[in-house]
Amino acid sequence: MTQYAIRNTQYAKDWEPRIVGFLCNWCSYAGADLAGTSRMEYPANVTIIRVPCSGRMNPLFVLKCLMNGADGVLVSGCHTGDCHYSQGNYYARRRFAVLKRFLEYIGIDPRRFQMSWVSASEGAKWARLICELVSEIKEAGPNNMGTIKDA
Amino acid sequence: MLKGLKDISKELLRAKRVEVILAYKRASDGVSATPSFVFEEKDIGNLVLDSYCVHNLSNYIKDFPGEKIGIVAKPCDVKSIVVLLQENQIKRQDLFIIGVECRGVIDEKRIHSSDMGFDEKCRTCKSSLPPFCDHLLKDKEKIDTKSEDEDEYVSIRKLEAKAAAERFKFWQDEFSRCIRCYACRQVCPLCYCPKCVADQTMPAWFSKASSLKGNMAWNITRAIHLAARCIGCGECERACPVGIPLMELNKKIEKDIKELFGYEAGKNAEQKPFFASFDKNDPDDFIK
Repeated sequence: MTQYAIRNTQYAKDWEPRIVGFLCNWCSYAGADLAGTSRMEYPANVTIIRVPCSGRMNPLFVLKCLMNGADGVLVSGCHTGDCHYSQGNYYARRRFAVLKRFLEYIGIDPRRFQMSWVSASEGAKWARLICELVSEIKEAGPNNMGTIKDA
Repeated sequence: MLKGLKDISKELLRAKRVEVILAYKRASDGVSATPSFVFEEKDIGNLVLDSYCVHNLSNYIKDFPGEKIGIVAKPCDVKSIVVLLQENQIKRQDLFIIGVECRGVIDEKRIHSSDMGFDEKCRTCKSSLPPFCDHLLKDKEKIDTKSEDEDEYVSIRKLEAKAAAERFKFWQDEFSRCIRCYACRQVCPLCYCPKCVADQTMPAWFSKASSLKGNMAWNITRAIHLAARCIGCGECERACPVGIPLMELNKKIEKDIKELFGYEAGKNAEQKPFFASFDKNDPDDFIK
């Protein structure tokens, strides 16, 4: 069964996307927190994993999520120039520019891997971003790479 | 060229300038070449140097830690030495590079068939001379330099133009054949991690069984790990027993990095590794 075969099934109709969000401790995590404390509403499809910095992100983390059936992966960090460790997000940007194009080449929907800069004061941006992300992933449909059998 | 190689080898060993010379000798099939490690002067007679010398010998440098090494290196091989130098894996003063002017190597997979010819990577290769070396062995006849405008990414562009589902199917079919022998890793001069992610169990990043899921994860990981480091010697594809077009993965990343960042691996040993550096103006149009 390919990634594209389960569209239009009952499962696909009932399905809600599961998205893994890797958030940097200093900006995006605080931004998401602000969205929460400000009582902003946004879909509950994102499972957040806190990382010290977006520069901590290894492409393997993204790959492992996608391989185990996450419908989308979001990596979010500080705006450029605002990194708590001065440069971490610059390294991450380079790394994931390459990964994003490569995943697309393999045939994995490019909407499944996304990156954003969200600062600690951008709770509203976070809420808006997740709304957009969830609707994009809903369009992309379920990722059934997780259902590929492993011997 | 062969005479030049024998002369310089003799000189190096006699003067104790090096302890071992990495070169080629004829394989037992009488046609192809095989790596040869020369420690003593008497073994120099067996050396060969021709288009059958396909191997990238820089892979063996790590097997002689702390020793002075002489190495026969084609332009591809010198490029991988550049990356090893960039990543502080070897010391320049431990190496004596015997550079070889290269007219291309033959495709080993077609060695016994009627359409024997040069390897695909050599068809679009632009450099017949290594970027640097300690001693250059030049060909007697002049090697005609190839046209500069030949596109080395033709097959990549073709695959890119296909629909996503088709690409996914293509790679799934290719990866499903993988038997996880890790020949691609063993033969790669730049895969030198003491503990490969594929061998790790805590955490186990992906399945070790040769099933589609683990195979996909392994092949994607291998390609990403070589991003901006692969210099396109094509050893992985040559070693692959099931014929997965691994260079189509490596070349894709090479092309993207060239397009997005204007960086090419294996050019400058003084430069910092690509992923260990950044530019404030790197493209960020994919970031929200």
